[in-house]
Amino acid sequence: MNEEKQQSAPVQILSRGYEKVFFENWPMWLGGLLIGVMSIITFAWARPWGVAGGLRNWGDWFFATIGIYSHKPLSPWISTNSVLTLGLLWGAFSSALMSKQFALRPAPGLELLKGIIGGILMGTGAAMAGGCNVGGFYSAMSALSASGIAMMIGLIMGAYIGLRYLYWELEHFPPGAAGGGEKGEKSFDWLRVQPYIGALALLGAIVFAWAYSNMALTRVGVLLLCGVAFGIIIQRTRFCFVRGFRDPFMTGEGEVPRAIAISLIVSILGFAALKWTGLRGEQVYVPQAFWFGALVGGIIFGIGMVIAGGCGSGSVWRAGEGQIKLILAVIFFSLSTSLVKAGIKGSEALSKLMGHRVFLPDFLSYKWTLILLIALLLVYYLLATWNEDTDKFTVEI
Amino acid sequence: MVDDITPDETLDCRGLSCPMPILKTKKAIGKMKSGQILEVLSSDPGTKNDLPAFAKKGGHEFLGLKEEQGFTRLYLKVK
Repeated sequence: MNEEKQQSAPVQILSRGYEKVFFENWPMWLGGLLIGVMSIITFAWARPWGVAGGLRNWGDWFFATIGIYSHKPLSPWISTNSVLTLGLLWGAFSSALMSKQFALRPAPGLELLKGIIGGILMGTGAAMAGGCNVGGFYSAMSALSASGIAMMIGLIMGAYIGLRYLYWELEHFPPGAAGGGEKGEKSFDWLRVQPYIGALALLGAIVFAWAYSNMALTRVGVLLLCGVAFGIIIQRTRFCFVRGFRDPFMTGEGEVPRAIAISLIVSILGFAALKWTGLRGEQVYVPQAFWFGALVGGIIFGIGMVIAGGCGSGSVWRAGEGQIKLILAVIFFSLSTSLVKAGIKGSEALSKLMGHRVFLPDFLSYKWTLILLIALLLVYYLLATWNEDTDKFTVEI
Repeated sequence: MVDDITPDETLDCRGLSCPMPILKTKKAIGKMKSGQILEVLSSDPGTKNDLPAFAKKGGHEFLGLKEEQGFTRLYLKVK
């Protein structure tokens, strides 16, 4: 404490800022707002935010390396899908270190199995819907596609089914405790050095972006930094899309649904501007999944995310924080989504079944599309808030 | 102070991640009487935010938390 008093003014300001960013709780709505802003910035630089595409690239790369696929995918170092997801993992990992929250957290056997099964279900659902809760829902709805709405309905249904399963499991297989997170004697205080490693990791991301830029891959470098920004925002707010669909049924809380609604309204307005003005292609991030792929994929994804305890973005940031269950979920997500996507691409009948690209302004005009989507999100916002007081949707154990 | 609290029940959720600690709490509270105190042990960093919010929503009183090596003790007074 004495040392602090002797610090010079700039150092004090910096350390106050550090405390504020990495130790104080960020409100959930701020997380939503910042994700909305980052979503627009990311699209303005290069392309919309996505997570599952990166995981698929890693799965494709793995299967190509062991000789199961004949074609090599785009290198994970160049693929914008991969770099965005790598950035998310990188940002969450650095942020967890900076806030002294990184620890390899083991879990009981049943929990690990749920991570694996949840990961496989999410990978399958994301392949069908043309993306996870980010690419298939968040960015797809921002991109004014109809399948974003279909996936939202699917996610709500899937979250309800998944929660019913968790209730059933709690009755029949009450989870055992795995014991303390960290055991054994500590030779040195690992928590104390975490922030320094975190700061080095963040600096490393900037150096990487610099290097990309020098190789004339500036957009890839910027996307890496955008991913890192998403990772920090999401880790610090513990922003969880699962909660947006699960909480109204589980605890009746409406904080996350409100934050998602705010976030999406911001993001939709930005995407509409970029597309209407012709700065970005209208068909970008309009998945070929309306309605079957988005709805049914959304249901399967919704069940998986509740069982795993993390969605596309949520599993990745929790993996970055060292949770073994979610590390398994991410690995099995990437393998299954790669295989299922390859299966769908390889079959004309399956591709057809998934559905069409539906860009809403083609049918409704931009004006009515915006009115429809914003009204839909306001209904979601209001229903979640109304449920907070009445518990009409809340399921008792 | 949290140190003076004698819980009526203790729920060990160490090693479990979101949402299992909250679900187990929700189930345990259903079986407890009004005014009783529940102690929750959790190693999931999210529980520190989630449990007070859950208590507030349900009208239970969140009494505070105590950091231990690798986990947190959290205390809740049932409505």
